[in-house]
Amino acid sequence: MIRRGGAPALVLLTWLACALPTAAHDAEPLPALDFEPPAPGTYTLHRIMAAPDGQVLGLDGRPQRLARFTRERITLLGFIYTTCVDPDGCPLAYRVFDTVRDAVAAAPALRDRVRLVTLSFDPARDTPAAMRRYAGSRLRGGDVPWLFLTTPSARELMPLVEGFGQDVRYEVDRSSGAVRRELAHVLKVFLVDRAGFVREIYSSTFLHPQTVLNDIETLVLEERAR
Amino acid sequence: MTQYRAIGMLGVWLAVIGALLVGTAAADETCNSPYIAKLIKGQEDYVYVWTLGVEGLGDGFDKLVTVDVNPKSKSYGKVLGAVSVGTRGEAHHMGLTDDRRFIWAGGLAEPKIHVFDIGSDPAKPKLVQTITDMADKSGYLGPHTYYALPGRMLVQALSNTKDKGGVTGMALYSNKGEFIAAYPMPTDNGGDGYGYDLAVNPKKNVLLTSSFTGYINYMRPLGEVVKDAEAMKKFGNTMVAWDLKAMKPRKVFAVPGAPLEIRWSPKAGDNWAITAAALTSKLWLIKQDKGEWQAKEVGTIGDPAKIPLPVDISITRDGKGLWVNTFMDGTTRYFDLSKPEAPKETYTKVTGKQVNMISQSWDGKRVYITSSLLANWDKGGADNEQFLRGFTWNGKELTQVFEVDFNQEKLGRAHHMKLGSKSLRGAPTPR
Repeated sequence: MIRRGGAPALVLLTWLACALPTAAHDAEPLPALDFEPPAPGTYTLHRIMAAPDGQVLGLDGRPQRLARFTRERITLLGFIYTTCVDPDGCPLAYRVFDTVRDAVAAAPALRDRVRLVTLSFDPARDTPAAMRRYAGSRLRGGDVPWLFLTTPSARELMPLVEGFGQDVRYEVDRSSGAVRRELAHVLKVFLVDRAGFVREIYSSTFLHPQTVLNDIETLVLEERAR
Repeated sequence: MTQYRAIGMLGVWLAVIGALLVGTAAADETCNSPYIAKLIKGQEDYVYVWTLGVEGLGDGFDKLVTVDVNPKSKSYGKVLGAVSVGTRGEAHHMGLTDDRRFIWAGGLAEPKIHVFDIGSDPAKPKLVQTITDMADKSGYLGPHTYYALPGRMLVQALSNTKDKGGVTGMALYSNKGEFIAAYPMPTDNGGDGYGYDLAVNPKKNVLLTSSFTGYINYMRPLGEVVKDAEAMKKFGNTMVAWDLKAMKPRKVFAVPGAPLEIRWSPKAGDNWAITAAALTSKLWLIKQDKGEWQAKEVGTIGDPAKIPLPVDISITRDGKGLWVNTFMDGTTRYFDLSKPEAPKETYTKVTGKQVNMISQSWDGKRVYITSSLLANWDKGGADNEQFLRGFTWNGKELTQVFEVDFNQEKLGRAHHMKLGSKSLRGAPTPR
């Protein structure tokens, strides 16, 4: 049985101290939380909505259903685009995912229950090959699956974006003198339970490995209490 | 003769209390939910005004009015359009979703929430949904504050459907309008169960709430309420600090006199919020001290003996200034908040015969003011001005630059405001 606020949290703290940047979206270490979060299992994560389904492409370019990657395990899912440079956007998500995966992998009670999904909302540039490059070393080893997905086109992407409520739009950047159309979005990361329901939505203001791990533990405790 | 003159000094005082209690909420760019990332940091193009319908005036329904406020526009200071909701339910406050594509707006007389699409065409909002299940799902009545959380909207109600008193709670909805959960205001450990405004500090995992009164008070004619001693006892005197993540009350503060709007300092690293208590004309500071949240009276608004009735407040983006509207004397006041433990009133100007809501642009150079509190509590006769007035602020003087007369335009009673921008037009499909 998982002890509330026990070993996984300790493992997480160790990883927070030791995590090394290794990918394009890595940066400086994540700051510590400025508050003591409630212990896992002492609060309720309500069902916010059913995670939408739709067609995605894996790194091998084969079409698959997203539901295959949002059921049977607790899933941490985030939309990104690989050229994003907003430090409070995709790079932050990447760093948090990296730390969470390492912490979960080091926690026997969690490692078989969790997966991570990174899904691009820029199908034009983020081909399966581009996503493979973006994933880099994250594809190798580890007990916790981390899927890097994209979509064939906006036709398949938009129902997923709309379904999750992930806002995305083009902004015109004139700062360089030339008009460039850049994707813009408000970072959201979704925690999905084994049954496919979104149970938490994180924004950059409180996306932190410690809160994510506590929420994962809360869902595991909930499952075991049934 | 106005309503207030007719009820005498005691009535005025009580009226002030009541009026203060109903008229405020998160208003402008500096007072939005921290989860709204698309703040308008340049020139805003529109002010959306959630407007109470008046029987016999125009179509008589509550409506969302769009006003052009870009000085470079040919229609500057003019009404671009109005979207009626087909009912008159005491329109009051509204809030933006976290993606800023929709406005949620409601009335205090009914458990309905109207959802307007402002993303598809910010110049032409469209009514796209009306949520009607709040009473059935939560038992709450009179949705007041709409506070964006990621993918969700937390709605603070003022009343309940059982006895229509002030014991109430918060209802949580998904952005799609699906009910998720209800959170009752605490009635133990010093809590009175009342609600009014809410505001979040995500970096501290703290949700603050304040307290007002119920339907049986705010929907009664003011003259009746102030003559009813029992009714006058039924106003909130508390604030609550909640564990935001757990959505559990953590500490109840005694804040006498109906604390209303709550504004966290937007300045990074600040750990305090400020509120105005309506009945006592006092400013209260809620601040973390040695790890413990404390509430402390820190200032006075005008001369409480003259019953100024503070209603809406608006904090500057650096947390160093606070606008306060006082309804009874139609005065807009500026407080220096450089020392939040000792706010200092540095500027006053009469901006109307009755003033309620106040909003400012992100840079603080433009200030917008509306006039209405509640249908039954607004002043009467010639004092019943209904307007949106735009001002410029140069740090020393408010200068009026336009006015929309809501009576003359047959729109209704101008209440809550939100700012809009052409640049926030909705999401083109990535291709």
